[in-house]
Amino acid sequence: MTGADTLRRWALALPAVVVITLFSILPLGVVLVYSFLTPGDFGNVKWIFSTDGWFSVLFERNIFDDTIAISDANIGILVRSIVLSLITTLITVIFGLPTAWFIATRPVAQRNFWMFLITIPFWTNLLVRTIAVQEMIRSDGVFNRILLGLGIIHEPIQMMFSNFAVLLGMTYVFLPLMVLPVYAAIEKFDFRLAEASYDLYASRLFTLRRVILPLIRPGVIAGSILVFVPSLGAYVTPRIMGGGKSMMLGNLIDLQFGQGRNWPLGAALSITLTVLVLLALIWYTRLTSGRKERNHG
Amino acid sequence: MAKRSFDVTRLPGTAVLAVACFVILYIPMAILVAYSFNSGKVIGNWEGLSLKWYGSAIHNQAFLDAAINSLILAVTASVVSTVFATMAALATTRTEKFRGEGAIHIILNQPLMVPEIVLAIALVIIIGQIKQMTGYNGLGFLIAAHTTFCIPFAYLPIRARLEGMDLSLETAAADLYAGRFYTFRRVTLPLLAPAILSGFMLAFVVSLDDLVMSDFLKSPGQDTLPTYLMGELRRNLTSEIYAISSLLLLLSVLIVAGSWVATRKKD
Amino acid sequence: MLDIRGLSKRFGYGKGEVTALHEVSFSIAEGEFFTLLGPSGCGKTTLLRLIAGFTGPSGGSLVLDGKDIAAMPPNQRPVNTVFQSYALFPHMTVGQNVAFALEAQGRPRSEIDPAVDKMLTLVQLLHLKNRKSSELSGGQQQRVALARALVAKPRILLLDEPLSALDMKLRKDMQIELKRLQRETGLTFIFVTHDQEEALTMSDRIAVMSGGHVQQIATPRELYDRPANRFVAGFIGESNFLSAKASAGVVEVGEGRVALADAPDGPVTLMIRPEHVVLSANAPDALELQATVAQLVFFGTDTHVHLVLADGTRLVARVQNALHGGQSLNEGERITISLPAKALRVVRDEEVAA
Ligand SMILES: Nc1ncnc2c1ncn2[C@@H]1O[C@H](COP(=O)(O)OP(=O)(O)OP(=O)(O)O)[C@@H](O)[C@H]1O
Ligand SMILES: [Mg+2]
Repeated sequence: MTGADTLRRWALALPAVVVITLFSILPLGVVLVYSFLTPGDFGNVKWIFSTDGWFSVLFERNIFDDTIAISDANIGILVRSIVLSLITTLITVIFGLPTAWFIATRPVAQRNFWMFLITIPFWTNLLVRTIAVQEMIRSDGVFNRILLGLGIIHEPIQMMFSNFAVLLGMTYVFLPLMVLPVYAAIEKFDFRLAEASYDLYASRLFTLRRVILPLIRPGVIAGSILVFVPSLGAYVTPRIMGGGKSMMLGNLIDLQFGQGRNWPLGAALSITLTVLVLLALIWYTRLTSGRKERNHG
Repeated sequence: MAKRSFDVTRLPGTAVLAVACFVILYIPMAILVAYSFNSGKVIGNWEGLSLKWYGSAIHNQAFLDAAINSLILAVTASVVSTVFATMAALATTRTEKFRGEGAIHIILNQPLMVPEIVLAIALVIIIGQIKQMTGYNGLGFLIAAHTTFCIPFAYLPIRARLEGMDLSLETAAADLYAGRFYTFRRVTLPLLAPAILSGFMLAFVVSLDDLVMSDFLKSPGQDTLPTYLMGELRRNLTSEIYAISSLLLLLSVLIVAGSWVATRKKD
Repeated sequence: MLDIRGLSKRFGYGKGEVTALHEVSFSIAEGEFFTLLGPSGCGKTTLLRLIAGFTGPSGGSLVLDGKDIAAMPPNQRPVNTVFQSYALFPHMTVGQNVAFALEAQGRPRSEIDPAVDKMLTLVQLLHLKNRKSSELSGGQQQRVALARALVAKPRILLLDEPLSALDMKLRKDMQIELKRLQRETGLTFIFVTHDQEEALTMSDRIAVMSGGHVQQIATPRELYDRPANRFVAGFIGESNFLSAKASAGVVEVGEGRVALADAPDGPVTLMIRPEHVVLSANAPDALELQATVAQLVFFGTDTHVHLVLADGTRLVARVQNALHGGQSLNEGERITISLPAKALRVVRDEEVAA
């Protein structure tokens, strides 16, 4: 390709590149810089270098005697974010995989209908869907009303603002993200391989473990990354379902820039979250490109 | 019929879990819609069937303003991002590798790799400064932010389509003395149109869906539908929230149905 | 060992109902190389899938070693299949593919490993044991499929057009290889093909199928010499058909007549193979007819002589090419031909799909 051609192509891509550089990459760089500054008195920062922001991601200094201790609050939230995201991913696999299998094994004419049912929640506003699950478990929501009405309980069960509520909310809103790629993988699955497996004396379980799962694995992995990444960075759902009691990293970051008035800590937490997401994405790319190599090599 | 024959596509338990999945997905939404027809003011406290809260919503100026903001944002951001994404996709496909191609690809996907909350915070820092320096407070900031995170959503389907496209068609057109622009207008663009449309739809819905970015960046009076809804959720829990939610739900059903009809016709 | 009685299969229902098999019955003996031969869509695969257990019959019974297996799921039937597409597990090595059946049966490792090696040796693929199955040539995949299906020593091996994806040369080699394997293992094979030559060269017995019916079951020799009906005669080898009138054991075609003991009175169809048509008048005990030479087609070892009879019927005769010219015919020439009574067969019309 000639130099002029390369230039022409760069020019064509330029508007998009500029917009993203200005409004995404550059601001991210600023966040990185801020994480090494000193908190201002009323929010914002003072331009004095400091590693306190990063330090307080994991530790806290006692203001009276200057002793250093592990920051239980921050680490708790960090661990909760990762664990809840992993559990969300697991639950969406448990429901999403059979659903995708169910849809992919319907007659072709029916599949569109079932996929339609999956795509509607997928395209529906996240906040609306979160409000919908919230209604189910609010203290005077559907479940409590039913249980009270049946006389099973006499006082509403407090389900909101707990890990359970966050988990329920995230599972609910991210479930369609699992079904779509797994469905695509199962649709490509050659059912003659399942026939071959049964022909060779395999049971249903053996066929599932040894033939079906290994072959639809790419779809499950793609679905897992599609659920895990937004779960880890979730903000809206944990805010509504978990409130101040069951915070995730996204909410902690918000807190530091708001009431906490510790922007460098917020910035350091933001970078931490981004790095965690990138690690997950790198793990995913490794996994998928590794398979390609093995297939060709 | 004879004895039930062995079905290789059957896995015991999948049907039960699948039905459970659909029930889980739809029951909460169904209940939300049902409560939107509640005449009572307190959400979830059923007092009888009525369209009262829909009426109240469409006479609610704050809601209407938010809807208009959302629409302006979604239209502007999706149009601009689709145009930019199409250009970028054309630049990075149908060619041998060129210097910087990989970089362009990574830059265009970058917003997808960063959690929304992080991007929102990052923009708050920068835009806060600009607001102070320039005194400008308009919708421009929101438009820029929305355009930014919409670009990858528009870029992905368009690029995928271009990569799968038969290069020989363009070569054939060029062979028939068609100029570069003529080829683009008569051959490439029509073939690309469905992908551009789906890229646009994706960008539109993603912009409409956004709560985090708008909530952090909005100036007073710039509520979008999600931020307005979030505010109401905090301030006054009335059945109107469910009516507005139901309207948004209806909108997505219409969008999905519309895109299905559109793609079906093409096949 | 395998008895199939009145086996039928219908797909769909109501207006869309298709009958793929009409009350098919036959028995297969231990160690037999049995072939299902017929044109595309005649129900060969359907019959095989019924035996393997991938679909259930709409009627009839399927008895293996005295036990009705019609309701038995495929993973319990002592029957294995070599699929037309091979259906090798793409994520497994050759060795893992071959070991699959034994692992599924829960056999101990100490039994599996030597069995797999033995099987791979038998199909001459031991050196590729650790190769991914997706990285094999067509012929190698074929052998792996064979080894995989044989390793658990099935009572019957089902092969659905196993050679159709291979090129001519490989196909001939595999035909010999398959036959060798079958002899060595002494297993019963049910082999599906639509290639009559393949069927004739390999099989102990052949079932010729068409339209979901079995038209004839016989040895290759018998099928060729005594086709039961017009379909079989036309499908196996090349044939000439003539309309004739028969009465009291004498058949009459135009001006010619000859005694044919087994001809029923009335109009009949006669069949004769091209190599049995004699291009001269003085054959004893033969039907003599006048014919015009329409075309001569040279085939190397022999020449096909296309003839037209007075009533417009077309016949083909095949004559060996002698070393030095031999008889010289010219296109357009009128000659007398004779059809020896020994070579003439009365054929019935075939059963057709209802
Ligand atoms: N699952 C099915 N549903 C409906 N009809 C079917 C089905 N499978 C087969 N058939 C029909 O049954 C008939 C026999 O099909 P079968 O596959 O057994 O033919 P075949 O002899 O194997 O042909 P080929 O040589 O092309 O493989 C065909 O008319 C086919 O259309
Ligand atoms: Mg077939």
